[in-house]
Amino acid sequence: MASEATTSRATSSSPIKLSRRTPKPSSTLREPITLDDSPRNDEQPQPFISVPSSNVDQVPTGDIAIAERRRPWTLFKTCFENFDLDLQSADWDILVASTCLKVLLFPSYHSTDFEVHRNWLAITHSLPISKWYYDTTSEWTLDYPPFFAYFEKILSIPASLIDPKIVDLHNLNYDSWTVVAYQRSTVILTELVLGAVVHRFVRGSVDSSTQRIISASLFLHPGFLIVDHIHFQYNGFMFGILLWSILMARNGNKLASGFLFAVLLNFKHIYMYLAPAYFIYLLRSFCLSPTGVLLPSRFLSLANAVILVFLISLGPFLLMGQLPQLLSRLFPFTRGLNHAYWAPNFWALVTFADRILLKVTQITGFDNLAINESGVNSTSRGLVGDTVFAVLPNIKPVHTFAITIAFQMIYLVKLWRLPTYKSFLAALTLCGYTSYMFGWHVHEKAILLVLVPLSLLAAESHAYFRTFLIATVAGVYSLFPLLFTPAETLVKIVYSLVWGYLVFEPLHRKIYEFPKSLPFVIIDLLEKIYLYGFFLLQLFVSLFPLVSAGSSGSANSDSSEETGMAFLPLMLTSVYCAVGLVWAFLRLSVIYIRQSETSS
Amino acid sequence: MDEIAVAFPEEGSSSHQRLHGRTTSFASSSQTPTQPFSRQPRIRTPSSSLRHRSSFTSVHSNTSNTSDIIAPIPRRHHTLQAHESRHWLDTPPLSPSAARSDSPMSNVTLSPQALRPMASLTAVLEDTQLDVSFPTQTRQRHTYKKESSESSMARRWARWMHHHGMKDWIIPWVTLVAVLIRWCVGLGSYSGQNTPPMFGDYEAQRHWMELTIHLPVRQWYTYDLQYWGLDYPPLTAYISWLCGKIGSAIDPPWFALDKSRGIETSGSKVYMRSTVLIFDLLVYFPAIILFTKIWQANRSVRTQHVALITLLLQPALIIIDFGHFQYNSVMLGFALLALDFFASDNDLLGALCFVLSLGFKQMALYYAPAIGSYLIAKCLSLGLANGRLLFFRLAVTTLASFIILFLPFLPPFTPLSDIMQPIIRIFPFARGLFEDKVANFWCATNVVFKWKFWVSKGALVKLSTLFTAVGFLPSVLGLIYSGYRIGVLRQEEKQNDQKESTTTNPLLSLLPYALLASSMSFFLFSFQVHEKTILVPLLPLTLLMSSSAADSVTFELGVLANNVAMFSMWPLLQRDGLGIQYIALTLLWNRLIGYNPFRSKPTSFIHLISLAVYAAIILLHIAGFVISPPSHLPDLFPVLNVLISTPVFTLVWLWSIKRGVEVSWAMGTLSSSSSRQSTSGNQHSNSYSRATSVARSDIGDEVQSATSSLATPVEFPSLIATKKRTYRTRSLGFARGDKIKLEWEREKERERVVSLGPGAVR
Repeated sequence: MASEATTSRATSSSPIKLSRRTPKPSSTLREPITLDDSPRNDEQPQPFISVPSSNVDQVPTGDIAIAERRRPWTLFKTCFENFDLDLQSADWDILVASTCLKVLLFPSYHSTDFEVHRNWLAITHSLPISKWYYDTTSEWTLDYPPFFAYFEKILSIPASLIDPKIVDLHNLNYDSWTVVAYQRSTVILTELVLGAVVHRFVRGSVDSSTQRIISASLFLHPGFLIVDHIHFQYNGFMFGILLWSILMARNGNKLASGFLFAVLLNFKHIYMYLAPAYFIYLLRSFCLSPTGVLLPSRFLSLANAVILVFLISLGPFLLMGQLPQLLSRLFPFTRGLNHAYWAPNFWALVTFADRILLKVTQITGFDNLAINESGVNSTSRGLVGDTVFAVLPNIKPVHTFAITIAFQMIYLVKLWRLPTYKSFLAALTLCGYTSYMFGWHVHEKAILLVLVPLSLLAAESHAYFRTFLIATVAGVYSLFPLLFTPAETLVKIVYSLVWGYLVFEPLHRKIYEFPKSLPFVIIDLLEKIYLYGFFLLQLFVSLFPLVSAGSSGSANSDSSEETGMAFLPLMLTSVYCAVGLVWAFLRLSVIYIRQSETSS
Repeated sequence: MDEIAVAFPEEGSSSHQRLHGRTTSFASSSQTPTQPFSRQPRIRTPSSSLRHRSSFTSVHSNTSNTSDIIAPIPRRHHTLQAHESRHWLDTPPLSPSAARSDSPMSNVTLSPQALRPMASLTAVLEDTQLDVSFPTQTRQRHTYKKESSESSMARRWARWMHHHGMKDWIIPWVTLVAVLIRWCVGLGSYSGQNTPPMFGDYEAQRHWMELTIHLPVRQWYTYDLQYWGLDYPPLTAYISWLCGKIGSAIDPPWFALDKSRGIETSGSKVYMRSTVLIFDLLVYFPAIILFTKIWQANRSVRTQHVALITLLLQPALIIIDFGHFQYNSVMLGFALLALDFFASDNDLLGALCFVLSLGFKQMALYYAPAIGSYLIAKCLSLGLANGRLLFFRLAVTTLASFIILFLPFLPPFTPLSDIMQPIIRIFPFARGLFEDKVANFWCATNVVFKWKFWVSKGALVKLSTLFTAVGFLPSVLGLIYSGYRIGVLRQEEKQNDQKESTTTNPLLSLLPYALLASSMSFFLFSFQVHEKTILVPLLPLTLLMSSSAADSVTFELGVLANNVAMFSMWPLLQRDGLGIQYIALTLLWNRLIGYNPFRSKPTSFIHLISLAVYAAIILLHIAGFVISPPSHLPDLFPVLNVLISTPVFTLVWLWSIKRGVEVSWAMGTLSSSSSRQSTSGNQHSNSYSRATSVARSDIGDEVQSATSSLATPVEFPSLIATKKRTYRTRSLGFARGDKIKLEWEREKERERVVSLGPGAVR
């Protein structure tokens, strides 16, 4: 088995050797990525990572180069290795067209997250660092890790020059044209990290034309358009770092991969969902030799790199003794199982089942089941707060953790036995997926955590593609309720259609396989029916408000909202998407577990 | 694939490469470039490049391992080879130039097929043999090479979709993209948002919906004229009524009489925007799609798709209709539908559509001289009997549709005294010569000569009418004269007992130029012009542009005029708060059509002018951003804007007249010379169909060269005129309809090869 692992690693690292032939100084090439590396500039003089190049005997070839010329700044430099972006005209086309579209979306609806981020600009700009995590001027307190706070601090400097009112702490709910244009352009600009990284994925890939489609699909993902450019967040930037880390893993530069992931964790802690896969992968394929012997120097260098990142991030707060306050901001355990709009995961199905059971018991008068009265009152309107089941036993955070970890263990064992890049990607996706499926108070935006790494696997085989297709369609659709204003409805639907057609059609043509046996034919058919069902669902969701307003009349339109009927389209959306996402989850798990450990 | 790219490196400018000459390959097995086989062409052509081409006919071997052969060849020979190799075997739809080239005779973009009949008969015969025997691999290799030199984003896009087998879906897909862009522009603000008490054009349109659903028809043109009284023709009123009815059904307060004035809820905004989008989809989109299918029927599918993208994402129309808020696309769409029907020989339907266009917005009147004279010319060209019949039917159709359109405002329904009311409202001669700063003759010259002080209003009306008439007269007369000439020619044919060999209508090629000249002269010289009205002349110009080669004058001028039109509306857009939409749309469209004037050194007069104009525009924008105008010159920037834009529009106007004259002269010359020369019946019919196909050939021709070659029509070998052979003779868009057949077959074969992949060839 060990020899197999070695060969597989050798093959996986072969494209890297090719690409490493022309290492270029990255001073001029860093420009597109300057925005995000600034927090890390501080670590250049660090002396931690100096590994003696003694034990290179068992090191796979791809890492020799790093091990030999490791100097203090090498790690930093390797992240940028080969980052010259020779953009072809097609790449420019995508960049120009998408930027124009995003600019046109400036005046569109933006959620409270917009004000949240504006408030953070104000906090970081006008308060000393010691008060960042204590300020409660606005209800939108700072609850992201320190790197993101530093990031906001940097963004606040130009903002204060453009319009001082932006960074005024007490100027709440400020949304003049200047702040909208400024904040939206920062999203577009920082998203270039994502663009640069996915562009780099093309080079050194096995099938560059397919990878090109996947890369373009990631850069243009409707999830990012909906969540970042309309709803407002910085996911494109952060997923850029995640993909950067994955890219480093693909290129065999695992130290940089771990380092970047640590950086990412300090930008947004939601990526902790992915941490187990990273841990196992780096431990097994980087810190241990194929025979299972610990390589202390590698282990230490990785540990040092990660600790260093955390020190830079949390250090100031550690010194000020603010760590408990910071952590309490980051991990508030005061929310309910479901969000206002149920994220379409396993719990959405359970909650739905509970509602159905409640109706059934109420209609049949079947009183044997003990009905939880507070659960009846916790109506399907889905207020923010604790969801209490009426019929089914209630769920506690501990349960969700237990289930999540149990599932993750399965994939991690598999990853331990098959520590290749592809296996890592699948395990990474599944770790994110498990957390999304069973996590406590999951937000629907977290589906991006699944969709982004899954996209990289889309062209592996038809089975993967099919999973990707179902998960993406259901996942993107599940983001639609984020934009509830009528004006943006057309944008999200049309854009998703345009994008979906461009991505799915060529990939489908490339790797289509006939279903092999009758069960697969039936599954294939059901999946198709499910996918086409989204058109019906959208039709229902669009027409429902008109019909219900028409039937109840304008006078009692408020009362219809009170009766919980207004929640019906949302609930249907959630449940319908949950069906697809759970199915895709099972599919992916089965594909991954059944994957032969010798072939890949 | 990379290997192929190495084997065919990029050679200089692509335009040079497009000159790939025809080669005479007589051996395909040799490993080295053989001695050039010189053969003096037996033709005299105006094109020097042609001569150059045919005197060096080296052979490029096409054995399988070509890279071995080509790689070591020195640079000089390499260049030679690049256009002496067998590239000519490429089918035109593949190469951007060939596919886009307008006239085959344009000396910049010679498509090899077009050149072939110019050579001697032997050459034609050799070609025939080669056509049969050339190997597929050469062709395929060429395909890949061309990919790297695709010039514009739209083209790359279309190619990508074609290659991934999504060809059939490209029209719905482009439609979706166009809808998306339109809607995104619509998310922005509109004319008169948050500016009580009068608001802007948005409120005007909304107000018409409100008043038409609440008032009887006779009050439509009289109700509270001070607050956005209805001043568009009846079709607008009817459509407003329809929109108002539906809107009221959704939410009555949106259109409550008087109470809804200035309503700015998000719901009503979405509704208003969606009405524009729906009418756009119902009228303008089909008109554009039909245009690419009918007018560019003899172009490759991909070129049609590129033209579709170019037209659908034309920035000026989008930003006025979806940003500023108007329904111009309905008026333009009906006018364009009329053109489509004319081109498919449904003159009556065309006339009806044009009446609808006029009935929607009186600005369609700018087209009226051209359309009217086209129809007259068509009647003339049909000869006495047929022409009279057609004239009669056209007259009846037009009159009847006008009467039906105005029926509610005519005597039985409205008192006789009020009959003039809509007319007075529609043609506001009571207003001034121009209102805001508009980039036309009057406003521009007003800087030095204050018209309003020196000339009375009545005289100004007459003067402007006179200028306008003089402006469009050349093209109108050209059309009618050509119609008359063709009529004479047909008459002669009949006398020679010829059957009518063609159904194509040569007048069609004149029509876009006439439309452009007429509408532009209206824009420049007529009374009471708005800056938005530039959309009317922009339509024919963009139509011409959409099918022309990227390095032709038509293209450069078309893009320049489109960009300057956007710029000329800048003061308006700035007021509406559409700054980012202005930038984004212009940038996107220029990227789509692959236009970047700063990329290459200026090669032509137009290019030089473009550079100067763009420099001025950028300077003015920067100045407008940085400094505020001095207090005694508050209108400094708008006036400078006018002074930059007007010359460009004047240039377009002059160019359109010139082109119109050229095209009609070319037809006239040809028909007279051919009729003089007609010795045998065969040749005669051929010359005639050539004349028609020249005219019919794609709008956007480089007629300078076309005319020069047309002036020497003797060069055509008479033999190729035999009926059997017609599809082989590809000069001048000659018998184009047949040519497509061949190209189409070739394209199919090529696609099959491509879809099989490189491995399949070996």
